[in-house]
Amino acid sequence: MFEVRFHGRGGQGAVMAAQTLAEAAVIEGNYAIAFPFFGAERRGAPVLAFTRIDNKKIYSKTQVYAPDCVVVLDDSLLDTIDVVAGLKPEGTVVINSKDKPEDIDLGKELRTGVINATSVALEILKAPITNTTILGAFAKATGIVRIESLEEAIRRRFGEKLGAQVGERNALAARTAYEKTIIGKSKAIKKLEPKKQWLPTYQELPVGGALVEGKTDAGLIGPGSFIENKVMGWATFRPLRDKEKCTMCLLCWFYCPEGTIVRISDRGDLMTNYDYCKGCGVCANECPVDAIKMVRARA
Amino acid sequence: MSVKKVITGDHAVATGAKLCRVEVVPAYPITPQTLIIEHIADFVNDGELDAKFLTMESEHSVMSAAAAASAAGARVFTATSSQGLAFMHEMLYATAPLRLPVVMANASRTLGGPPGIWCEYNDSMGARDSGWLQLYVEDNQEALDMVIQCFRIAEDKRVRLPVMPCLDGFVLTHTVEPVEVPGQEEVDSFLPAYAPDITLDPARPSMIGTFMPAEYIMELRRQTATAMESAKKVIMEINDEFARKFGRNYGGLIDTYQMEDAQIALITMGTVTSTSREAVDELRKEGKKVGLVKLRFFRPFPSEDLRKILSGMDAVGVFDRSISYQGGGQAYNEVRSALFGMTIPIINHLAGLGGRDVTMEQIMKMFEITQRAANGEKVNPVNWHNTRGETV
Repeated sequence: MFEVRFHGRGGQGAVMAAQTLAEAAVIEGNYAIAFPFFGAERRGAPVLAFTRIDNKKIYSKTQVYAPDCVVVLDDSLLDTIDVVAGLKPEGTVVINSKDKPEDIDLGKELRTGVINATSVALEILKAPITNTTILGAFAKATGIVRIESLEEAIRRRFGEKLGAQVGERNALAARTAYEKTIIGKSKAIKKLEPKKQWLPTYQELPVGGALVEGKTDAGLIGPGSFIENKVMGWATFRPLRDKEKCTMCLLCWFYCPEGTIVRISDRGDLMTNYDYCKGCGVCANECPVDAIKMVRARA
Repeated sequence: MSVKKVITGDHAVATGAKLCRVEVVPAYPITPQTLIIEHIADFVNDGELDAKFLTMESEHSVMSAAAAASAAGARVFTATSSQGLAFMHEMLYATAPLRLPVVMANASRTLGGPPGIWCEYNDSMGARDSGWLQLYVEDNQEALDMVIQCFRIAEDKRVRLPVMPCLDGFVLTHTVEPVEVPGQEEVDSFLPAYAPDITLDPARPSMIGTFMPAEYIMELRRQTATAMESAKKVIMEINDEFARKFGRNYGGLIDTYQMEDAQIALITMGTVTSTSREAVDELRKEGKKVGLVKLRFFRPFPSEDLRKILSGMDAVGVFDRSISYQGGGQAYNEVRSALFGMTIPIINHLAGLGGRDVTMEQIMKMFEITQRAANGEKVNPVNWHNTRGETV
């Protein structure tokens, strides 16, 4: 059995990647299952997806805890999540990154395949959806499925939903990534400490789970605690406002779903708090005078 | 001082709620509960009760408003029945684990289809796993007294769960009998004001009922289950305190009648208990050692009490006014679980479904069949009483 864990962000297509990989394995005559694990799913939030591949029916319905391969669709996740947790020592990591394998610090020396999937996806698909691209890198780095089977699986799943042309373009993205993937070894410098989490016993949990503002070893809890939950890493793009064009109509301030646009009343100006901006682009979309442009948050 | 009044079960329940000084009453009418909320509306209108009376657009909204008002720190009462209870089913599950001590009377009524308005327990039985405490009363006095006890139980820090007292539709709701109405000052000294630690208060922000991932929900379920278990002791304590103060002792989780030397026991719920008391008297006159166990609380289920009182019986009959479409009624199945490992024959007696009258004759038949099982005769484990088809 070969087990894969995908780390992505909502909207990048990690779930679709896991399913497409399963389909490719089935095309080759194997058995495969794929399934997601979400938190409160939102665009940009970290998500997990899993694929299991075997040459016989798979009965296990648990999450994957000791994967043979970890696929990371967004290298900003490396800062907050120990993506290689549980990875078998001889396992492989596939990462979407502009860096070379030897420049990527996973806290362990691991066989690592790297592709700048965001660039490939933006170029071929005109969108930062990296799922098909990263699958090409997966095929190259692991050899578990042939690139031809993946192309076929992509044509089927994406073609059926979004039309043959989209299917073809995604297959091309996978093939391009397959050819550009660099394989090497990651570096082992950082010490990964598991993120602390507030885990009360049933007696410690306040009655009915009702919470007032509070502080624990693992950080704030209750109302206002999300101030610690900075989401700048979720953003592929961020808004830049042209002050000359801006008429201060405040539509962006009104529409921002996260309230990250702040009015500075004494100067009659606006400020974006990028710590909490997920780069959704609603502000740019709503701006009636095109004063807001979305620019790449990172390369 | 208490006053004797001749009132319906619905009037008794409404009077109990008034004496508890309930602060918010979201309401939606449904037969045979309607009189309860009409009486409360009158109390509020006449200035006898200082409460916010909210006429809602549905029962789902009633329970939503009840949960929210309770979370805001108010003492909340409402009442429903049958389809109304079914309609608020989703919100029942929101109220209990959030530990909101709402008290809601349920006028037991058959849950359609087919539609009917008379007494059956299939409405409240559908809510038995929602985390609400559930009890079934026998007469109008108990209906009034239990509303008062229910608020004490619900608001007790060891419990903090919603409670659903159920009274038989029409058999109690629309029947008048003498009821001793306690004085306000007596009730005030028995039931202090509700004072929760955390409420929805703008001055002290809190989160109640927000999204909770799997890392916490197991602990929350365990906490709720522990509270339900703790309720057994609290119910007994409050029963005893009430008995000392008001002179009426209901026994706690169960009540018993003529069980001291009984060899055959019948377990009943609601008003059938009342008629069964007379049946026991009749059979005792004939020298038969029969007794009665009144299942007062269905949640928490009094497994320990039943094992104790039923130990050594020759046979036990269990009356059910609803069926789970799987081997008899709900009480029967719970009793069988409670008595697991004991070798007593347990016989189910289904009667009164859809509001069909449960007569003295039928209750005698229940004792007779149970006696036959005690004698070692082969009898049906589940018996449909007064139901056309093969006779039992």
